[in-house]
This record gives sequence, C-alpha cells and structure tokens, in this order.
Amino acid sequence: MEDRRTVADGLRLLVRALVYSVLGGSALIAIATVVSVLGPMLALDLYTPPVAAWWTVFTAIAVQGVPFLLLGTVVSAAIGAFVPERVFSRLLPRNPALAVPVAGAAGVVLPGCECASVPVAGSLMRRGVAPAAALAFLLSAPAVNPVVLVATSIAFPGRPSMVLGRLVASLATAVVMGWLWARFGRDDWLRPPRRHAPATASGLRAFGAGLQHDFLHAGGFLVLGAAAAATFNLVVPRSVLDVFTGSAWLSVLLLAVLAVVLCVCSEADAFVAASLSGFPPTARLAFMVVGPMVDLKLIALQTGTFGRAFAVRFSTATWAVAVTSSVLVGWWLW
Amino acid sequence: MVRRYGSALLLVLVGAAVLRISLLSDLYLRYVQAGLRPYLVVSGVVLVGLGVLAAVVRRDRESYDDEHAEGHEHAHPHHGPRVAWLLALPALALLLFPPPALGSYSAGREAAEVAAQGVGSFPALPAGDPVELTLAQFSSRAMYDSGRSLKGRTVRMTGFVTHGDDGTWYLTRLLVSCCAADATTSKVEIRGAESRDAPPVDTWVTVTGTWHPKGKLGTDAAWPPVLDAATVRTVRQPADPYEQR
Repeated sequence: MEDRRTVADGLRLLVRALVYSVLGGSALIAIATVVSVLGPMLALDLYTPPVAAWWTVFTAIAVQGVPFLLLGTVVSAAIGAFVPERVFSRLLPRNPALAVPVAGAAGVVLPGCECASVPVAGSLMRRGVAPAAALAFLLSAPAVNPVVLVATSIAFPGRPSMVLGRLVASLATAVVMGWLWARFGRDDWLRPPRRHAPATASGLRAFGAGLQHDFLHAGGFLVLGAAAAATFNLVVPRSVLDVFTGSAWLSVLLLAVLAVVLCVCSEADAFVAASLSGFPPTARLAFMVVGPMVDLKLIALQTGTFGRAFAVRFSTATWAVAVTSSVLVGWWLW
Repeated sequence: MVRRYGSALLLVLVGAAVLRISLLSDLYLRYVQAGLRPYLVVSGVVLVGLGVLAAVVRRDRESYDDEHAEGHEHAHPHHGPRVAWLLALPALALLLFPPPALGSYSAGREAAEVAAQGVGSFPALPAGDPVELTLAQFSSRAMYDSGRSLKGRTVRMTGFVTHGDDGTWYLTRLLVSCCAADATTSKVEIRGAESRDAPPVDTWVTVTGTWHPKGKLGTDAAWPPVLDAATVRTVRQPADPYEQR
C-alpha cells in the first residue's frame, strides 16, 4: 500500500515536471525568439532622444542619491545600534515645544542632501526622540547645513540677504512644522518604522542588518522618486516659466510647485534658482525653501519610511508653511 | 536562491554599477559632477562589501536554522523589502547600457540663458593665444563686461552643435552644478567663413575665433553672444560632457 502510493506520487511528479518543462520551455523559446528578433528593432525605435534623456536624468538622480542615502543609512543604523536611548532623552529638553527648536538647529550637523535625512529621522524616532523633534530635524538638516548655505552665497554673489533669507525661512518652517506636529499630529498617521534585525542581535550585527534593510528600502523609494522627477523634468519645459513671470503671487506659487516636481538636490538648487532670473527674489527664495523639504523624491522616501498617510499630510502642510514663511521673510527683507 | 540571497545580490549589483561608472571609467561624469567621484567609489566599495557580508551571514544562519528548525518562519523574514528591486533598474542600466550624456535634445528644450548679473568689469583674461574659455565664461563676459576684455582676443571653446532657424548654428554646452537633472544651457552663435555649412547636430567641435560684439551690454539684444569663427574642428566628446559651475 505504502509502496504503491509512493510510486504513484513519483509518477505524478514526473508527469507534472515533464508537462511544466515542455510548456515552459517552449514558451521560453518562443519568447526568446520574438525578443531577439523584435527587441533590437523595437529598442532602436523606442530609444528616441527624449527617452534617452529620460534615462540619463533618471540614472543621474539615482547615482547622485546613492552616496547620500548610504551616509544617511549608516548614520541611522549607527544611531539604532550603538547610541542608547538615554543619550537623546538627556540631550533634548523633555518638553516637545522646547525640543523642536533644538532639534531644528541641530540640523546643521548633517551636511548632506535630503536623501540622508529621512532614514536618520526614522531611527531617531525608534530611539525614543519625540516625533515632533525628529521631524523638525528632518526638515532643517538638508535646508540649513553649511554646504547648502555656502552654495547659496556662491550662486547669488553680492546678495547675502538671499543666504540670510534662506536660513531664516527654512529654520522657521522646520520649527513651525515641529510645533504643528506636537499640537495636531496623531501618532497613528505615522507608521512606526519597522526593523528587521533579530532582537537578540549584538550591536555590530544589528548595525549590519539595519544598514542593509534601510538602504535597500529607502533605495527602492529613491528610484521611484527619481523616475517621477525625470518624467516631470522632461514633460515640463522650463520655457513655460516665462508665461508666469508677470505676477508676483503666481510666480511664488509656480516656483514652489516647480521645486516639488524638479527634485533638484539642496546643494544645487541655489544655482537653478539663480538661473531663473525673470522671477522676483521672493519666488526664488520659495523655490529654495520648498525644494529641500518637499519634493517627489522626498515624498517617495517618506512614504517608504513613515507610510503614505503621513507623507501626504506632512508634505502638504510643509509646502504651505514653507511658502508662507518664504513670503513673510521676502516681505521683511525686500 | 533569489529569495534567499536577494538582498545580497541587490547590494552587490548596485555597488558594482556605482564602481563601474566611477572607479573603472569616467562615465559618472555623464550624470554627476567630478567632485562626487570619491564618494561614489567609497559607496560602491561599501555596498559590495555589505552584499558579500549579507550573503555570508545568511548562509551561516541558514545552516544554523536547518539544525534548529523550530521558530524558523518568524525568526527573520527571508527577503528584503520588495520595493528594493526597483534599484535593479538603474543598476542594470548602468552596467549594461549606460545612458548617454544629455545633448542637443535637452539643450533645445530649455530656454538657454546666462545667469543674470550686473554689468561691471571682469578680471583680466588669462594669457594665451588663443585663450581657452568655457561657454559660460565667454557668454558672461560678452554680455556683462564693461571692460570689454574679450575685445581683440582669439578664444577657443569646445561644445556640441545645435541648429537655429534659417541656417544659423550654435556652439552649445550644458552646465551641471550637482547632477544632470539641473542642467542649464549656454550657447554661442557661430558666424564666419568656415561656418557656412553647419556641422550636423550633436557633433562635438572646437571653435577658434574672435568675439563679435552685438547689442547693448546687459540687455536681451546682447544674447546669444556671437563668435566669428576662424577654424571649426571636429573633436571627440570630452570625458566631461558638461561644464561645471
């Protein structure tokens, strides 16, 4: 009885394997033939200048992001694995209303693109830092670090007010957003960042596992954001901008939207802003304040780290606050 | 196999792609600026190392798990985040068919312009006959230099060819300050005996010639600046296809 069943099972398995391999094999051969014949023809037809430019811009944003993302995930994995929670509870004021400006000012220490700040903010939250403070850090780190401020002063020679305006408006936005989160934010919007490292792992192993997971996860979303940015980069010609240079209000809103879709990294956006010479200074300030805080690449990264419910609300609110603070600062300075 | 070693494979793939364009060739200049190279090399090495490490750790753990089979399922999830597979897209593109540098298509899409600045005097041009200039340097001097330092000098510039209306052609170069996504365009109209037959679009050429003053300084009429070409020579695309800020 037992023997017969095993023989029958074996036969069934054999037949199934045969059927699969014949069907699958012929399908594979068919696909390979079609692809090898049509592929090159189709590829040449599809590889038009716009498509080639799309690929270049897409890979450029991804390549540009990789070192900064790696830096950010190294810092965040190190925080997760080696820095005990009590360090942060001692460094930061207990009261979130006070912790927010401190965290915002601390953004100066992370000289990098915005790609680096998202994983770091995630690991700060995991380490018990109040979300409001971690979010203020997330916004201010790419916007007010020394590299960015120096780049701004090079891009606008003889106009230190642009650097000052950028510093003030960015810090104000970060702090206001932190306070808004402390007052109105709800923790269930925020998907707690997951950690795949085994709980028992030692410091070094947790570091390796955290680094690997965070980099791959955030990297996937970086690619998603890069694809969106490359698409907009090619669909929106910069010449449409000329239409809007007439109205001060429209131009502020337009450049604030452009900052979101172009995803120029924070170290370069000052040069792009400088080249948009037809626009009033307040609009260009808005471009530089919004860019490092809200753009497609960042929205994708935040969605990956904190969840969609968070990314949509937070980015919308940040955009509005950033535009408002740029307008106020612009009105004060110019 | 892919399930088990997927994360390690992806890390190695991304690392290898980054090293291929930064350490093994100059291809990275098509995408980002020269200053990023050391960071790219370090990132590539770290990623490859991390991937190898991940594979080794995984293998050790698998053999450990085979001996201690219980609790296997939820002890550690087997595959990395699924969205991470998107990383394979740019990585494979860079390894197999590195996308070309941006050229005339991108230059034509954007209204080229010179970063606006006040009219004023510039420092003296460096010695040399002809003097090597970038298109951005030439344009800003042609448009804003009240000292007219270009006057009487022979200059040499390299760029690719774009065509204008009615047979005019331009020497064009893209300017990148961080990555190719922020490229802006500089262009100089080429006139002169040798330039009657415009070279085909996207040909790389080195042009030697003299400045042809046009329009009032600092106004739109002065743009695009004009060069009277003495010689136009076809050259290979330079390693760095963009001008750097």
